Amino acid sequence: MSEELLRIDDLHVSFSTRRGMVEAVRGVTLTVKAGEMLGLVGESGSGKSVTGFATTRLLDAAGRVTGGKILFRGQDVTKLRGDDLRQLQGAAMSMIFQNPRAALNPIRAIGLQIADAILTHKRISKDAARAEALELLRAVQIRDPETRMNAYPHELSGGMCQRVMIAIAISCNPALLIADEPTTGLDVTTQKVVMDLLADIAAARGMATILITHDLGLAARYCRRIAVMERGRIVEEAGPRTLFSTPQHAYTRRLVAASPTATSRIEDLVTEEERERQATFVSKPRPEPAHGTPPLLQVRKLAKRFDQGSAAVADFSMTMAGGESVGLVGESGSGKSTTSRMICRLIDPSEGDIVFDGQSIGHVASRDFHRSPLRKDIQMVFQDPNESLNPRFTAFDCIAHPLMRLDGMRAGEALRTRVEECAERVGLPLDLLPRFPHQLSGGQKARVGIARAIACRPRLLVLDEPTAALDVSVQAVVLQLLDRLRRENDIALLFVSHDLNVVRMLCDRTIVLRNGGIVEQGESRALFDNPKTDYTRKLVEAIPHIETGPTLAAAL
Amino acid sequence: MLSYILRRIVATLPVMAIVALFVFSLLYIAPGDPAVVIAGDQASPEDVERIRQSLGLDRPFLIQFGSWVWRILHGDLGTSIFTNLPVSTMIGQRLGPTLSLMIVTLLLTIVVAVPLGVVAAWKAGSLIDRVIMGFAVFGFSLPVFVVGYMLAYIFALELEWLPVQGYTPLAQGFWPWLENLILPAVALGCVYIALIARITRATMLEVLQQDYIRTARAKGLGQGGILFVHALKNAAVPIVTVIGIGIALLIGGAVVTESVFAIPGLGRLTIDAILRRDYPVIQGIVLLFSFVYVLVNLMIDVIYTLVDPRIRY
Repeated sequence: MSEELLRIDDLHVSFSTRRGMVEAVRGVTLTVKAGEMLGLVGESGSGKSVTGFATTRLLDAAGRVTGGKILFRGQDVTKLRGDDLRQLQGAAMSMIFQNPRAALNPIRAIGLQIADAILTHKRISKDAARAEALELLRAVQIRDPETRMNAYPHELSGGMCQRVMIAIAISCNPALLIADEPTTGLDVTTQKVVMDLLADIAAARGMATILITHDLGLAARYCRRIAVMERGRIVEEAGPRTLFSTPQHAYTRRLVAASPTATSRIEDLVTEEERERQATFVSKPRPEPAHGTPPLLQVRKLAKRFDQGSAAVADFSMTMAGGESVGLVGESGSGKSTTSRMICRLIDPSEGDIVFDGQSIGHVASRDFHRSPLRKDIQMVFQDPNESLNPRFTAFDCIAHPLMRLDGMRAGEALRTRVEECAERVGLPLDLLPRFPHQLSGGQKARVGIARAIACRPRLLVLDEPTAALDVSVQAVVLQLLDRLRRENDIALLFVSHDLNVVRMLCDRTIVLRNGGIVEQGESRALFDNPKTDYTRKLVEAIPHIETGPTLAAAL
Repeated sequence: MLSYILRRIVATLPVMAIVALFVFSLLYIAPGDPAVVIAGDQASPEDVERIRQSLGLDRPFLIQFGSWVWRILHGDLGTSIFTNLPVSTMIGQRLGPTLSLMIVTLLLTIVVAVPLGVVAAWKAGSLIDRVIMGFAVFGFSLPVFVVGYMLAYIFALELEWLPVQGYTPLAQGFWPWLENLILPAVALGCVYIALIARITRATMLEVLQQDYIRTARAKGLGQGGILFVHALKNAAVPIVTVIGIGIALLIGGAVVTESVFAIPGLGRLTIDAILRRDYPVIQGIVLLFSFVYVLVNLMIDVIYTLVDPRIRY
């Protein structure tokens, strides 16, 4: 088992862009032994995926290997051409990708897509390939495989699509599988099932695997060796225990600190040296609201039914006090986003009422709510900062727009001052204000989104997975910012997320949703430490923790 | 599937009704008394009155329209004022050449334009791509009659490879039929080829950037398999749409092309009818072209569902 399968030696990869050559990988050296699972961890832009694509020779046309060797079974992959290369791709070496639904051809039945891979590499009849494809669907534990053979990707869930991808990848029994963020975007429970399946298959077939991920916890759970990448270089390589207990490199230390764990608090998310630089938190306890004050938000028996079929949300009730933070968690399809949008008055509830600060707003049609004086009191931060900012608006326009629409401000000095205040509040450097979204990083865009939402000084901020698209270190900063806004400006936060670790840190109370109904709710820490229902327990257990878990302990 | 097609057909009925109303109104939109218009310049008042009576022009508009539609539904498109032949007979005589020209042009276009577009997208940015797209711009910019006369001059008069003009029915043999259609089809297809090649290139470029193309490469599929199995079918919906919209282009172009190459088709009939103010014939032709166009778009809607399983019916 200790035979060396892959050896990457001083690899350099460059991309030609409009602004000249950009070096994405600058001297990566690593080895993979037959049958082992190696974790390649880093944040976006670290070059981890590029390393994977260079190994499988799937780089974009703009990318080129400018130096180094990739030796696979002693053969330099970077020099292969034509048929030699095709014999390798999909046969000896295969790859699975992030966003499995996009990685499958939408108009080709999945059975055919698996058979494609088999027929490319084996001289067998179409019927035989079909039979093998069926076997593979069984191997990846897809229920009712005979019918599913003729299904199209849009008819399958994300998790099932990733299983189909795994089936394609293992169809020719490769010696090396490169999994690029295979579970990003999947629910935690699905993530666990898919990763367990992948690990089992790899072990059963003696397949070496490189797991490329931004999630240290995930790598720690499944890999015995983890390489950490930063800006195109490998900065540290160690077993998960050593990596977490005694990280050597400063970047690893930052990454480990920023990864939320079952016990971490918001202020823990930066390393000790960084913490000293930050203003210390004034952790004054929030004053209890005076007796008799109505709650800020009261939701009564809210329900939503879309055109046909069953209710997306049913019988949802909750209350929130001013300055409180409440987490809304659940898997995709649980109705958490629908609920948050109803509370934000972006969509209309089918039943029930929403009372904000003593006023019933549930019956104001959502298309008229922008005229309500309460519009500026309830604001929303959307999931993907890349998609939710108008590409033609500068950061300044974006923050100024709600002020002009809802606060009636006119362009001028007063507006500029307000926008700059907001930018400062969220830690956005003022010189970035004239920039357009594509000229900003993910974290900067997230700040613009938050600055826009707080511009009119709302009392309730609804956040729909605000950090899902961000790197952990950026996430850490954004979470700290949100927590500070809540403490200092008394903004109530309704935080919608599937990331239980984040919710546990940020929210006083948590509501667990499933199939549109509340399963469990209570004080966050208590709820996660002692889940009362099986569903919550399953959710909690599925989170990959940085603590070396039982899976690994057994393997060691 | 069958119910989908039926529903689509039902959905085209209002369109056809509006077209019919418009076509019928043609006679009334034209300035002056329809009876006078039809009777022509040298008619006596008695002639005008006779025409008014015989065509029922003295009855209320809606009743005229109703009876006109009723007759059309029974296959009676009226009688030509000029030749006194039934309009349906006249159209029937001219249908063959036009249909032949359009089908040959359509096939030529698809066979030439789609592969050109695919190659241009595959080799995007290269010399081949630029040459193909250069030709496309050229094809766009030249009017049909210019291309037509140029082709006729080069290939018919100078090289004498192909006949200058005329038409031979398919019944007299395949080659004589095709021989006469090659130059008109190339002339008529020029703009169309340019259009389809550009659309094919643009959609293919977009499809080739999709994740599933990378998956196909990761499987080890060859370039041909990726281009034609995994990409072209995915790019088909926009391409098919433009091919369908382009049929309108063909109809307009056929009128000009038939004049240039002296093909005795519907285009010529249209021009003759307009010049003679032969309203029943004009109405019949316009109605037929609209019907063909609606039918083509119906076929395209059906093709969508065959190509893309995500489009539900």
